[in-house]
Amino acid sequence: MADENWIEVGSTDSIEEEDLIRFDHQDKTFCVYRLTDGFYATDGICTHEAVHLEDGLVMDDEIECPMHQGIFNIKSGEALSPPACDDLKTYPVKVDNDKIFIKIN
Amino acid sequence: MNKKIFILGGGQSALYAAREIRKNNRDAEITILGEEKFIPYERPPLSKDFLLNKRIDEDLYFCSKETLEEEKINYLNTIIIKVDFENNILVSEDNKQYTYDTLLISTGSKNRKLIINSEVDDEIFYLRNLEEAKNIKEKALGKKNILIIGGGFIGLEIASSFSQLNKNISLVEVGNQLMGRIIPNQIADLVKQFHENEGNKIILNKTISEITKINEKYKILLNDNTEIISDLIIAGIGSIPNVGLFENTKLKLDNGIVTNEFCETNIKNVYASGDVSNFYHPLYAKYMRLESYQHAQNHGLCAGKNISGIKTEYSSIPWMWSDQFNLNLQLTGICDDYDEIVERGKRIDDGIIHFFLKNKKIKGACGLGIAGKVGRDIRITSKLAEKNTIVDSSLLSDQSQKLNKLIQK
Ligand SMILES: Cc1cc2nc3c(=O)[nH]c(=O)nc-3n(C[C@H](O)[C@H](O)[C@H](O)COP(=O)(O)OP(=O)(O)OC[C@H]3O[C@@H](n4cnc5c(N)ncnc54)[C@H](O)[C@@H]3O)c2cc1C
Repeated sequence: MADENWIEVGSTDSIEEEDLIRFDHQDKTFCVYRLTDGFYATDGICTHEAVHLEDGLVMDDEIECPMHQGIFNIKSGEALSPPACDDLKTYPVKVDNDKIFIKIN
Repeated sequence: MNKKIFILGGGQSALYAAREIRKNNRDAEITILGEEKFIPYERPPLSKDFLLNKRIDEDLYFCSKETLEEEKINYLNTIIIKVDFENNILVSEDNKQYTYDTLLISTGSKNRKLIINSEVDDEIFYLRNLEEAKNIKEKALGKKNILIIGGGFIGLEIASSFSQLNKNISLVEVGNQLMGRIIPNQIADLVKQFHENEGNKIILNKTISEITKINEKYKILLNDNTEIISDLIIAGIGSIPNVGLFENTKLKLDNGIVTNEFCETNIKNVYASGDVSNFYHPLYAKYMRLESYQHAQNHGLCAGKNISGIKTEYSSIPWMWSDQFNLNLQLTGICDDYDEIVERGKRIDDGIIHFFLKNKKIKGACGLGIAGKVGRDIRITSKLAEKNTIVDSSLLSDQSQKLNKLIQK
């Protein structure tokens, strides 16, 4: 049965490994990542200054903001390096039939 | 024995060093001596979000007073006027003496001052610290015409902020391009055009001949006899290392405090970090002095490690940014030693980057784009420069190809 809270993002091959895509849903924006061990999702906007992380660099489990190099752990959302100090919100992700879903609420 | 560690100067580099020392040493007495009444705070927003009223004082502190207390890092608000390197003593303006076992000097840099004439010199504003940012903000209230002297990063950022607050900006720069020769001419031109499209008047190749005060306004005469009327004058004409205290001491100075790759000065147990230090960079095999956020942080961390007895070489690839309007400019590596320039991108909206190569290896890059558009590639450049990697310039110039693959294992 479809669970309303799981929102379809796209197919698994829409994201290259060690990369991310931007996903907008209603008035919110997210980043969905493909790491070596699976898919993850976080808020799209850096907690330091309002810039989208879609253009950031994914390295191992980390996303680095393209503006001021604040670094976050993609899996936990933890802010790892200044100027970022507030953590990034993370969201559950599942893959079903080669489709990625994120749970927003 | 509890070691007494003093850090002279209360800025970014001081704080990162202090916290790193505490991480490695639970027992040391750590004291930061800073002449500002604020605990260490970020300077970059002073010319940007703070002027724009998007951030207030409390948003700027690197950490709270409570965190400093928890980590047992003392911040003493005092001005040090003398250092006795023979007897390991610091003397403050109020005549207190502090004896150190280890000293880290992180006194940063100070603004170069303009000398025009005594009547107006004291009325020209400069921006280096929170107090000055507050003064400028207050002074600009209700004023319409602002003259900015100096087309470097800070002058341009102030121009951008006040333009967004609907002020009329004139900016006078002595050089023939903005932001100095290190920035590729084409990128400097794009920044100039952007400011002009936003209504800022940018005047290159001119100097100030005379400033006279008429009632509450200033009449500025340029060297080509152009006249500008302004309500407020702000100068950003560069900064110099804060080393006045150490002249005529045995501390080795040369464009700042000379340090090796371990943040050590020529005096045993005396270290220096941040803007004030002219440090040896092992990767480039030369001395350099940097004024940037990332450097102040990493150099402080490195000094903290070395002071804690963890011998650590400093070999970070230089990186800095400037934000003006919704433009983000980034610079990495060294951009003055190359035999080839490769350009990537044509439009600011997608980001434009100039890569500097020598013997096919990336040495540095300068990028300009709408916020967020150049960061990833600049970061990749830093990583490539660090590893001295040979790169295929056709890949660098092709914006349809992501550069990520260059650093993937
Ligand atoms: C307005 C502005 C905007 C900036 N924007 C950017 C940017 O966008 N990107 C970027 O990469 N970098 C930027 N920077 C540069 C960056 O902030 C500095 O490189 C960094 O702050 C240097 O840190 P520091 O600890 O070495 O020195 P500072 O932060 O300058 O700290 C030195 C401290 O020591 C104190 N001090 C000096 N002498 C004494 C004494 N005798 N006794 C007691 N205290 C003393 C000073 O008052 C000061 O508080 C900007 C700087 C400014 C001023």
